[in-house]
Amino acid sequence: MDPNKIMGNILRYGSLFSILLILFGTAMLFLNNGANNYTLKQIASHDSEVSTNGISASQLFYGFFSFDGISYIVLGLIVLIATPIMRVIYSIYFFGNQKNRVYLLITIIVFFNLMFAIFFIPYIL
Amino acid sequence: MSMLPILFFILIVIGGIIAGLIGSLTGLGGAVILTPLLVLGFNIPIYYAAGASLIASIATSSGAASAYVKDKITNIKIGMSLEVGTTFGAIIGVLVAAALYKANDLSIIFVIFGIALLFSVYPSLKKIMLRNKIKNIKPDKTTKFFQLTGSYYDEKLKKRIRYHGVRWWYSEIIMFIAGIISGLLGVGSGALKVLSLDEMMRLPPKVSAATSDFMIGVTAATGTAIYWQLGYIQPFMAGAAAIGVLSGSFIGSKFLNKEGNGFVRMLFLIVIIALGIQMLLRGFGVF
Repeated sequence: MDPNKIMGNILRYGSLFSILLILFGTAMLFLNNGANNYTLKQIASHDSEVSTNGISASQLFYGFFSFDGISYIVLGLIVLIATPIMRVIYSIYFFGNQKNRVYLLITIIVFFNLMFAIFFIPYIL
Repeated sequence: MSMLPILFFILIVIGGIIAGLIGSLTGLGGAVILTPLLVLGFNIPIYYAAGASLIASIATSSGAASAYVKDKITNIKIGMSLEVGTTFGAIIGVLVAAALYKANDLSIIFVIFGIALLFSVYPSLKKIMLRNKIKNIKPDKTTKFFQLTGSYYDEKLKKRIRYHGVRWWYSEIIMFIAGIISGLLGVGSGALKVLSLDEMMRLPPKVSAATSDFMIGVTAATGTAIYWQLGYIQPFMAGAAAIGVLSGSFIGSKFLNKEGNGFVRMLFLIVIIALGIQMLLRGFGVF
């Protein structure tokens, strides 16, 4: 299978799926006039206090089953951020498979930087 | 300022569409235009605007770049190898941004943003003035080691164009700086990336633009987690911005002729310069 096609598809369908989640979440937000114990007015204001900071994994889980608007938008954002990461993971597999040592190492370094920024730095701040 | 939620949503989406359109026409990506629009136009705090723009730049990178990846205009190897620099830089940039936000020292952010905007016009201006006069440089050691060769099919010329990249280390240093700016301001740093690929590596403009687009997603994703943890991403605004910028860049790439429209591009560059001056003035406390 053509690696460009696979990588292009990862990017295309990842971003498409995330936009659908965001659109659905926004629609639920307006239909329910709010989400997650906040009113729509509190969420949709220029200096809103609702941010990614206060949303836990369990909240997302319950939010998913109760069609909570903010939870769906946040899930969409997570899929969006995961999309370029997925294509880095695919690159590691591809260059490993091709036995291209230079690029296997390069892709692993990029992946390491991403993981360091996502899972390590936020917890030392 | 109290605004109807639906109106607030529509305004951010429209702002995103404008930023995406301008971004795809000038090749700068949308975030660098969206942040000043949100801050100066809608009075949104700069950290929320930067968070939303960072999200929007991932959306455009993945959405718009996918077609170039499939068409093999993007050079995946060159992109991946230079992402080493952009991701390192992004980590440092985000940490500096976090320190400045915590110290409530926003004036520096505004000043650097203004400079970045004014600078971002340079590659496009040069392209309009000089019309692609690229001198070929002979392959060097890095060309071979990092496998910086490639080819793509040019639809307009109806032939396959072969090319090679040179000076990988210099290119990587510029990418590192691009990463710092990206994390610091929450933008994709498309202008610096294109400069690094065009001028340092001497890639054909089409390959530079496509590869830069491709790299923005990973660079921005590196910074996003830290913005996320610090609470600088407001889901409602970020979602609306992503929808807007993605639609705008899609419209820009589908329905507008990228090669022509010199006048329209010039007009947009003037808009970007005006936004840059306004950000600078805000940084110096003038307004």
